[in-house]
Parts: sequence; structure tokens; C-alpha cells
Amino acid sequence: MNVIESNQLTKMYGKARGISNVSFSVKEGEIFGFIGPNGAGKSTTIRTLLALIYPTSGSATIFGKDCIKYAPEIKKEIGYLPSEVFYYDNMKVNDLLKYSASFYKKDCTKRIRELAEALNLDLSKKIDDLSLGNKKKVGIVQGLLHEPKLIILDEPTSGLDPLMQQKFFELLREENKKGATILFSSHILGEVQKLCDRVAIIKEGEIVKVETMSALTENSYKKFRLEAVHHVTTEDFQLDGVTDMKVKEKTVSFIYKGNMNAIISKIAEIPLKNLWVEEPTLEEIFMHYYEKEE
Amino acid sequence: MNVFMRELKALRKSLVIWCLGIFAMVAGGMSKYGATENSGQSINELMASMPKAMQAIMGTGSLDLTTVSGYYGILFLYLIVMTTIHAVMLGANIISKEERDKTAEFLLVKPISRKQVILSKWMASLVAIIVLNSVTFLISHFMVDYYNKTDESYLIEIAKLMGGMFILQLLFLSLGTSIAASIEYPKRAASISTAVLLITFFLSMAIDLNENLEILTVFTPFKYYEAKDIIGGTGYDVLYITVSVLLVVAMTIYTFIAYEKRDLHI
Repeated sequence: MNVIESNQLTKMYGKARGISNVSFSVKEGEIFGFIGPNGAGKSTTIRTLLALIYPTSGSATIFGKDCIKYAPEIKKEIGYLPSEVFYYDNMKVNDLLKYSASFYKKDCTKRIRELAEALNLDLSKKIDDLSLGNKKKVGIVQGLLHEPKLIILDEPTSGLDPLMQQKFFELLREENKKGATILFSSHILGEVQKLCDRVAIIKEGEIVKVETMSALTENSYKKFRLEAVHHVTTEDFQLDGVTDMKVKEKTVSFIYKGNMNAIISKIAEIPLKNLWVEEPTLEEIFMHYYEKEE
Repeated sequence: MNVFMRELKALRKSLVIWCLGIFAMVAGGMSKYGATENSGQSINELMASMPKAMQAIMGTGSLDLTTVSGYYGILFLYLIVMTTIHAVMLGANIISKEERDKTAEFLLVKPISRKQVILSKWMASLVAIIVLNSVTFLISHFMVDYYNKTDESYLIEIAKLMGGMFILQLLFLSLGTSIAASIEYPKRAASISTAVLLITFFLSMAIDLNENLEILTVFTPFKYYEAKDIIGGTGYDVLYITVSVLLVVAMTIYTFIAYEKRDLHI
């Protein structure tokens, strides 16, 4: 079953582009990554799914129900962490979390305590006095306290130190194991790589590609780095499937997708000192998708 | 219910400050009456000798300043200005603050419809204006009573004035909410609402100064419930009550519809 199904979702701000024809689906129990640079339309998509803004055309369903028409009902099972957390002034962390819990018809006290403990969050402090990272923690607890079936995270790691990030990812994996579906938006590809099963790459308001993480990183792309005996030029490696080529005197690096024999025989023509064939990082693949479009 | 309670809590502090302001206004104003009272008729003559513009600005008109109720009638104009400014800012801010403070991304992703949000906020605002009105009533009653040397009680007169004030509060509250619910930039809601209020207020003064403008009276709620009519003479005007109630209902319904339809500005 698909938890989220977006169908040609389009949002225009007047004549300015928000997102256009965004279609993707997130399966139950999946951790789905949503990557793209700032301003690509990630937040716009998420806010449309949450009915904070309305689509110009197209539609989306969450749990099989229209995300605009049934918004209040759907939201019972959604936990959301916005990219920037803002809360009411003059409230203590505990008051805010209780207020948040009061919208869901279940007792969340125990869960709040557990989460706060896991994240090392002081519940008695005033929210105004918290650092950015600690505010983010309040956001995380607030998003998870009612044990939602769908967790939507918009750039959730900004402001968290690496150790906290790790803890946070553990929490997410736990929730995922318990059956929660996660939509994780980010512009940092490393973290998406760590966590997600599938990713959608969004660029300038359009989905460029939806692929499984393994397909992206393992199956198709290889990163070649080689050191030649003599000077080399880009012409030496002209072949379909070669991208992101960088030549510096005797060393060359590029990303290759295609028939291995073809590239190996090409390389065999050149006297080599050294050769590395590696899994590219998602960053590199990602850049590759972006360049191809241009 | 939780949003309603939350809003009440948030409103508490500012409401206390407004009540103190009202107290200062009534106590300060009425103490001036204590000082002029002894001068007898002369205050009326002094007022009458002033240019018409001054009279209009002071809001005296046909009120008898030697009586405590007449004197309070002048104060009432300022009380109305205060309570309507409170109402219009309250209405504008209670809706727009979620977007201004970016808490909309918290509240509006909860399992609650926008209509429920508006309803809770509207009810909380209603409580606030009722509290401010009641406090004004009590303070006014006691202060007028304190300076009242006659046997006559002015309780009924003041209650009538408060009735008019309450309708004006409702009117400007719903003006504030309807502006905040519909405009594209919620940050401007309070200033636009206050500007509308001031324009109608100055219009009411202009009408006092120039009889030819009388035809515009219906456009300024400040002319709907004037002390000189309510306590001095004709009482409430059915036409203006009807107009105000219709406006309140229309702007409130509009608030709900407009907020439901528009994109939240985050």
C-alpha cells in the first residue's frame, strides 16, 4: 500500500514556480528520501501535502485519502518536523509538548519522557532560552510523541551535532521498525544515504528521478580514479557514460555508467601507474543528475 | 478547547495592562470632574465659547458638563477609542500571529481544521472583550458614583453606554479577524486594521465639524453609539444596531471562509 501518493502536484506562486507536476509514491514502512538543493521545492511539496498551502493543480493522497479534503483526519497519524522550529514564547518545553499532545486523543506522557531522555532534553526550561539544537530536539519530540504512522521531516538535522544526529537517526530507525513510514527531505546527501530506502531527486520544482538507494549507489555508477604515466587529456576518455570528468596533469577522475568492458579496454590503452574503482558518494551521483539536465 | 485555553492564557497579561489603562483613563478623567465641579455653570460657558472644532475634538457637543453623567459622556468617547483599538488589534493579531511567529507550521499540522482554529480564537477574543467591557463598566460605575453628589443613580445609563461599546468592540474585533484572515501578508494585518479604525474615527470627527458630511455617518461606527444620544436623548438607533449586527455577522462568516481558502503564509 502507498502511504503517500502524489499525482502531478503543481503549485504556482502567481507566475513564479513552486513545484510542477510532482509525482511520486511512498510505500508503507519505507524511508523515503527527498533530495534537492535549497529552493528546489522540497518544502513546498511537503507543505502542500500537509494542506498548509493548496495545490494549483494535481492532487495527492495520504493513507489513501485526499490530503486537502481530509486534512484534519489524516493529521492524526502524521508527525511533522519543520525545517525551522518556532514555538510560542514564554512556554516551557514541557508545556509545549503537553499542548502538542493535547491534540491527539491518547496519553503521551510516557513517550515524551522517553524521547526527552533519549535526546537529553531538559523539559523544565523555557523554549526562548534554548539553543537552536535544543529547539530542534523539542521539534523532534513534538513530531514523534504521538507515535505517528507517517513521519515527515523537512531538513531535520540542521542544528544538531553529529552525536545527536546519530541518536536521532536511531530513533527514526526504531520508529520505522515499529511500522512508521518516513518522508525525509534534505539537501545533505550523506544523511539520506545513511537512512533511506528510496530517494526522489528534485530540481527546480520537478522530480528528476526516483530510484532505490541501492540502484543509485551500487548497480550502475562507478567512480574511476587513475594515475597515468604520461599527461592525459579528456579526449583519452571520450566514451558514452563518462561524466563528471576531472583531469589534473597525470590524474583523472570520472563517474562511469555503462558496459564495464568498454571502459576497461579504453583504460588499457593508456600506460597506468595506479587505478582505483570505487562506489561514488551520493553527492557525486547527484551532481551528475544535475549536470545532465543543464 | 485546548486552543481556546491556550489563547486565553496568552491574552491574560495584555488584558491586565489594558484594564489598568482603562482604570487610569476613567480615574484620571473623573478626578478632573471633581476639580471643575465647583466652578458650576462656568465650565459649560467656557466650552460653548470654544470654537466648534475644539468642541468636536473634545467630544462635548450637547453634553452638560456640570453633571457627572455629562462629564462621563466625554470620557466615554475616549473609552470607546481605547476598547475598539484593543478589539481590532486583538482580532488582527490572534489570527495573524501564527503566521507572523511561524507557529502555523506547528498548529496547523495538528488534527484540527482551520475552522476549529478560528472558532477557538474567536471565542477566546470574545471572552477578552467581555472582560475588558465588564471591567470598564465596573470602574466607570464606581468612579461616577464616587463623584455623584445627587441621589440619582447612573447605573442604567452607564450600562446602556457599555452595551453600545460592546457592539463596537464586536464590530472592530470582526474587522480585525476578517482582515487578518484574508490578506496575503499577515504581518500587516494589525497595522491595516488600525488604519481603518483611525480613518473611521477621523471621519466621525469630520462629521462633527461639518454638517454637510452627515450623510457619511453610516460609514463610521463611532457615530453609531454616541453618549449624547444614548444618555442624553434618543437612546439606541435601530438602524445602526441593525447595521452593526449585520456587519459583525458578515465579517465573522467572511473570516471563516477566507482563512479556509487561502494559503498560509509561512
